[in-house]
Amino acid sequence: MIKKIKMTTAEKIIFFFLILLATITLSTFFVIKNKCLFVKNHDPQNINFKKPNNIAILKAPCGNVIIELYPDVSPNSVKRFRKLIISGSYNDIAFHRVIENKLVQAGDLEFGMKGSLNYGKIGTGKSGLGTIKSEIDNRFDYKKGSVGLARTFKNGTEDSQFFIILQDEPLFEGEYTPVGKVLYGLEVLNKIKYQRHSEYILRPDFIVSFKMLR
Amino acid sequence: MIINYMNLLGLIFLVFIWITPVHANSIYNLIKIPNLEVYEINTENRLKYFYAKSSFRLGVQKNIICENSNKKDLDDKFNLIYKNLNRYSYNFLKKVNLKYIVLCENLSISGINTAGIPDNIMKTLILDIKFDQKYFERVIHHEVFHIINDQHKDLFNENEWKKFNDLKFKYAKCSTCTENLGLDKYKKTKGFFTEYSKSTVSEDMAEVYSHIIYLDAEKIKQIRNLDEILNKKISYIESKIKKIDNSFVF
Repeated sequence: MIKKIKMTTAEKIIFFFLILLATITLSTFFVIKNKCLFVKNHDPQNINFKKPNNIAILKAPCGNVIIELYPDVSPNSVKRFRKLIISGSYNDIAFHRVIENKLVQAGDLEFGMKGSLNYGKIGTGKSGLGTIKSEIDNRFDYKKGSVGLARTFKNGTEDSQFFIILQDEPLFEGEYTPVGKVLYGLEVLNKIKYQRHSEYILRPDFIVSFKMLR
Repeated sequence: MIINYMNLLGLIFLVFIWITPVHANSIYNLIKIPNLEVYEINTENRLKYFYAKSSFRLGVQKNIICENSNKKDLDDKFNLIYKNLNRYSYNFLKKVNLKYIVLCENLSISGINTAGIPDNIMKTLILDIKFDQKYFERVIHHEVFHIINDQHKDLFNENEWKKFNDLKFKYAKCSTCTENLGLDKYKKTKGFFTEYSKSTVSEDMAEVYSHIIYLDAEKIKQIRNLDEILNKKISYIESKIKKIDNSFVF
């Protein structure tokens, strides 16, 4: 005859904690997996802007990044940037270069398109509109959230690629053409996929859409 | 046993490399010189000054070496360098492609000590803050001239320059191909400001330029009156600099 053994109080407590631990572990797993869970998504329709015509909305995987463009600072570059935004050229383009807490870069229209990503050439692609001159003479404070046009080693090679800085970069003044600044949604950019050992991202995140508010 | 420990150390080292994250350094990304920190970047003519926080090596063969300095030496020399480089306007510096000044000490190329290394491509001038105090201020301008010359090679014609000298005179094959490297100004100039002027055309031009900038106008006027060759060389340099920036003040 098998004798039924009753759990002691200590065993009950241990059992309870094991169940609790398993529950926490499981729920944490799902929370961590959803990288966008605690990221606030800003709705531009609920915000009053001083210059609504200069507002661009970049939709990233974790929400909206609201950017004010500065045509007074860099007129030709903003004109090019706006043209590409309006034409929808940036939709489905990779954030191909991401450095944790430092910058995100996107806009390679030739080799960074979702579905036809070219890892061998990404970062070197062109828009087909030609390069434009750098506009770096005006004073510009490259604070966290500033948006600039990327270029090759030489000035005057700006095209479609742009970057957004995630920390202050005073040395960028006079080096890179500024086109705007993030007003809301910098935390969305912090969630863009990065790799610890490489600036260039394997299986990167993509721009969902990039539009002008008006 | 020792081998096992070595393997273990090697493994730890590899793991350390693997888990070391990418920390892109803005200064390195801009001018490709490691181990630098910002010294001063808010300047009127927008020159950005960096200093070496530890020694660095450059070049394909890592033959350019410079060491870090202590803060007092940096502070002392910075004021002098700043005063001299402040003579150049933002517009002029932009035209000659100079933007970054790197301060370090015991600068050498392949073991040969040098006052500065100009690099117009990287918009950078490396300066040895421990270079001989006697010539220090003047050589700053000497090195600036090399940036100017490298950026505007088409303007400074070596054959035209050689014609200013005595027909029998020949420059050395390179700036370090001679033992005549003295930087003291000749009492009797005879077409050259210093012994080093006789090394190469570009060094001669740089010596003429640095003296025009460093000496007062009255002294230059005297030299022009006494030395016909130097008078021509000074006029040549002045006219070329004015072609680059008509508003430049000597």
